[in-house]
Amino acid sequence: MRTAAFLSLLFLAALATAAPSQSCRQVAGGRGDAAAIATAVGELRSLLTEAQRSALDKPFGYESAIQWSNLPIGVVPRTGLRLGDLDARQTAAARKVFDAALSACGLKLLDEVRLADDWLTAYDKRPIGWSGGNYYLTVLGLASTGDAGAKSPWMLQLGGHHLAYNFTFNGHLPGATPLFFGSEPIRFEMKGATYAPLDAQSGAMSKLAAAIAAQPGARLSGTFTDVVKGVVVSGTPGQQMTGGVDTGFPQSYPEGTQDRGVLVSALQPAQRQLAREAIESFASFPGGAISAPLLAAYLDPKALAATYVGYSGDTALGARGSYVRVDGPRAWMELVVQPAIAHPEELHYHALWRDKQSDYGGEIRH
Amino acid sequence: MRAAGLAVLLTLLATAAGAHPAPNSLLKLDFRATGVHAEYWVPVSELAYARAADPRGGRFADYLLRHVGAESTAGVPWRVSVDGVREATYADHPYLVADLELQPPAGVSPRVFVLLDDAVTHEVRNHVVYVMARHEAGSELLGLIQYPTRRLEVAAR
Repeated sequence: MRTAAFLSLLFLAALATAAPSQSCRQVAGGRGDAAAIATAVGELRSLLTEAQRSALDKPFGYESAIQWSNLPIGVVPRTGLRLGDLDARQTAAARKVFDAALSACGLKLLDEVRLADDWLTAYDKRPIGWSGGNYYLTVLGLASTGDAGAKSPWMLQLGGHHLAYNFTFNGHLPGATPLFFGSEPIRFEMKGATYAPLDAQSGAMSKLAAAIAAQPGARLSGTFTDVVKGVVVSGTPGQQMTGGVDTGFPQSYPEGTQDRGVLVSALQPAQRQLAREAIESFASFPGGAISAPLLAAYLDPKALAATYVGYSGDTALGARGSYVRVDGPRAWMELVVQPAIAHPEELHYHALWRDKQSDYGGEIRH
Repeated sequence: MRAAGLAVLLTLLATAAGAHPAPNSLLKLDFRATGVHAEYWVPVSELAYARAADPRGGRFADYLLRHVGAESTAGVPWRVSVDGVREATYADHPYLVADLELQPPAGVSPRVFVLLDDAVTHEVRNHVVYVMARHEAGSELLGLIQYPTRRLEVAAR
């Protein structure tokens, strides 16, 4: 217990030294290698009890894959391996899984989003489960080290209230999505340090919105009170109602040219660069081995030229309902400003990255 | 069982509303011998955005009749009326609940039709309407309506 507390303090100290506005740009190689992640998963599994292994391991398929949410566990219970229940050795082993799977940007998001939930705990009167401990790790299918005969698709799911990493390996396509992330509060202080988990992404999207605001067609019609392609609440016939998970998958997306924003091909070079940076800020959470092929597809000159960018509301993202979206041949990236829950006079962010082809590695069918 | 299933959904919607600032709508269909009764739960917060975008104003019932309809799969319109509107609160979130009657032309089965609705979705891009059927054995999700879609083909079991 003392060791865990000491590690926790070290972790906080390390975070406090990081610049809160650290950018998330494309990162090369290194992390995100399926075999390295599978090895780290195996090392973690060896430290788990049978009950914990049962929580960690799920079958690979639609029903398991869509079990992510942007709602706290009091509304949408999770069934994976709860990070808050791990002892010091297990926590260290889980950290190696995260290190193997995530970029520095992705690790920062994980750590700071969990800290934001810890910050909210004091206001969780109902309670609905705001806590950095209420984040979960799940492995769907057999985590393959890449050995012959072990090439079936598998997924690493890591998330909780304001985060959902869904990485798919050995699928038809490299899969980093759906990837939901959010933050309440937007900026907060804890133990003398300031955190702004979505600083890089909100900053990049805001700059993009401001740069295109004067372009005809850049402003999207309608009102946005949440992300458009997020989780939905629904029921299963004959069973107790469930909801708040990705039952809307597979999604349909806007077609044609109307009300999608402005094409990147119509922008000036400096504006195009801001579009690139917005895309990179969303797509740089996974390790480079995962994100590199996706970024290459999104930033390919033809794909980028055919990508729409649009916004609604305040380009500075300082008012509820403000919204920015990237809508490409494959990439779907959106960020919305909502009222905060704990303090409704304040604001909070929801953001979502989907890939129109490779959500769940292109492997999941309903 | 039916009431229990709907109660669970409403509780979930209510809890989600309290935990989340963008609640969705619920349309519960009850198939009867000569028509369909629809109980429509619309969150006040999201409705406010939609009504602000419709300059025609008027009572909520009149507004609904402009935005909710039904027709046969061949496009023949059904008669739609609003029998009543009441307020309801779940958790921290207020709803308006409207009782609608959907009436097919004489001799036409009420069990297959196209539901038309953009009461909130014509303005709120993320808003979803959950269309449910009520059965003796429980409730059944028939489908979702979200912008730009405003049609849902409904077939009772």
